[in-house]
Amino acid sequence: MMKSSRLFTVAAPVAVGTLFLLVWQIICRVWAIPPYLMPAPTDIGASLITNGPVLLHALRSTLLVTLIALGVSVVVGILIAFLLVQSRLIERSLMPYVIILQVTPIVAIAPLIIILVKTTLMALVICATLIAIFPIISNTLQGLRSVDPGLESFFRMHKASRLQLLLRLRIPTAIPMFMAGLRISSGLALVGAVVAEFVAGTGGNSAGLAYEILQSGFQMDIPRMFAALALITLAGLALFAATAILEQLILRRWHEHG
Amino acid sequence: MTTETVSLRAVEKVFPNGVRGLAPVDLSVRRGELITLIGPSGCGKSTLLKLIANLHAPSTGSVSWWGGNFSSVGTEGRRLSFVFQDPTLMPWSNVATNVRLPLDLDGVPRVEAEARVMPALEQVGLSHAAGRFPAQLSGGMRMRVSIARALVTKPDLLLMDEPFGALDEFTRNKLDEDMAELCKRDGLTTIFVTHSLYEAAFLSSRVIVMAAGPGRIHAEYLIEPSMPRDENFRLSDEFSRICRDLNALLTEVSHLNGQKESA
Ligand SMILES: Nc1ncnc2c1ncn2[C@@H]1O[C@H](COP(=O)(O)OP(=O)(O)OP(=O)(O)O)[C@@H](O)[C@H]1O
Ligand SMILES: [Mg+2]
Repeated sequence: MMKSSRLFTVAAPVAVGTLFLLVWQIICRVWAIPPYLMPAPTDIGASLITNGPVLLHALRSTLLVTLIALGVSVVVGILIAFLLVQSRLIERSLMPYVIILQVTPIVAIAPLIIILVKTTLMALVICATLIAIFPIISNTLQGLRSVDPGLESFFRMHKASRLQLLLRLRIPTAIPMFMAGLRISSGLALVGAVVAEFVAGTGGNSAGLAYEILQSGFQMDIPRMFAALALITLAGLALFAATAILEQLILRRWHEHG
Repeated sequence: MTTETVSLRAVEKVFPNGVRGLAPVDLSVRRGELITLIGPSGCGKSTLLKLIANLHAPSTGSVSWWGGNFSSVGTEGRRLSFVFQDPTLMPWSNVATNVRLPLDLDGVPRVEAEARVMPALEQVGLSHAAGRFPAQLSGGMRMRVSIARALVTKPDLLLMDEPFGALDEFTRNKLDEDMAELCKRDGLTTIFVTHSLYEAAFLSSRVIVMAAGPGRIHAEYLIEPSMPRDENFRLSDEFSRICRDLNALLTEVSHLNGQKESA
């Protein structure tokens, strides 16, 4: 039972995907649509192979920005959440700015950041971090707050210190919410990296996938454009899977029944 | 003073929202007593227990623990444990770590703390489940972990707020028997809140019947403590008589309430 349901969760989407690609391929071939209008999956695959080295290099650049931004988001986001949870006053005075950060479209301020910050990598990381950090802050904050009042009473009755409360109650309580935030942020970090690359338009050695998409557009090399897009999607899926697996490993025993 | 564990003098509790949870109450608990608090919902049983655990501060009146204030509670001979209505376990820790928690908080050295976990789990019949996580246990098992966590500190005063309220009657009877034996063997002073007059009749040496609106003590009922609390006691005429008496008191209390509400 267990086995077959797990099989289905893999097999069913794969079947849908295969069918989709197949229909796409047939339509392109039957109507003889030129690749510069709509490339068939095989055109994209061929482009992926011929442009492989360049695209993989670009993927590496984009992933580097994504992962650094995610790392910075986690560290800074957690620090901010801890700061905010310290007192109502701190939260009242800082929360509006966290929200301003969240509601301001980063795309709009990205050009400014890219002008102000000298190194391209740093500028890209800052943009991606600004996009990715909010779920970490808000989820960690909410997690730190959602302490079981009964357990808190128990800790108080045993005259627990602030440090004991933090390490043995608040932090473990916050972990599930934090993990959910991390999953959202990992996707946003990738979005942020790609958006920043679009705005910066940096080529050369540090060219990311966004640059490859732009270039392909200029050169009307639509299959290559799709190939770069496919790599971004795959990177997003890999990030999502990695955080989901991490979450499962950490939270497995909390939710297990039977 | 020597045998007095906890005593409340004219303790009243008015909540910040103006609700009068408890009208002035006097209560003195002697060492080795097993007291049950019984009464209709909202009559202040939990409030009374939380006042005794210092989780609430009295609005007026005073509580004293072993003749002193709360700062000395937690030291040798003056330990207090609370079993809540829910197990309130840490879902991220296994059974052994959950049971060890109060020792860790009290600063007991790790090696000694770990050595005390197993005996506590044995007392509640869960030594086989030390490595399991709360989500892997049944409701009754979780409650027993919660009790082991309360016993591991070797408390001198044990407070229990409807600990078995969510369990089926069979499990509950079984745990009641274990409780009775444990309290008797260790001479544990216990204050036990329950909704069940049968549970009160079975366990206690003194039953405090409370009335609501505002919460107050309506009557006290003494039960000969030397009687063996086992399956036979449940079937005895004595037990039926106690239950009848308690039932009469509870009926009185509910009529008091009814009069108040219709007035
Ligand atoms: N924190 C609180 N703030 C305001 N009112 C409260 C609070 N806690 C309890 N009360 C009120 O005090 C009264 C007594 O509550 P308490 O929880 O002690 O009742 P109880 O006898 O334990 O009831 P039950 O059997 O349902 O558990 C109730 O009217 C309740 O609404
Ligand atoms: Mg209650």
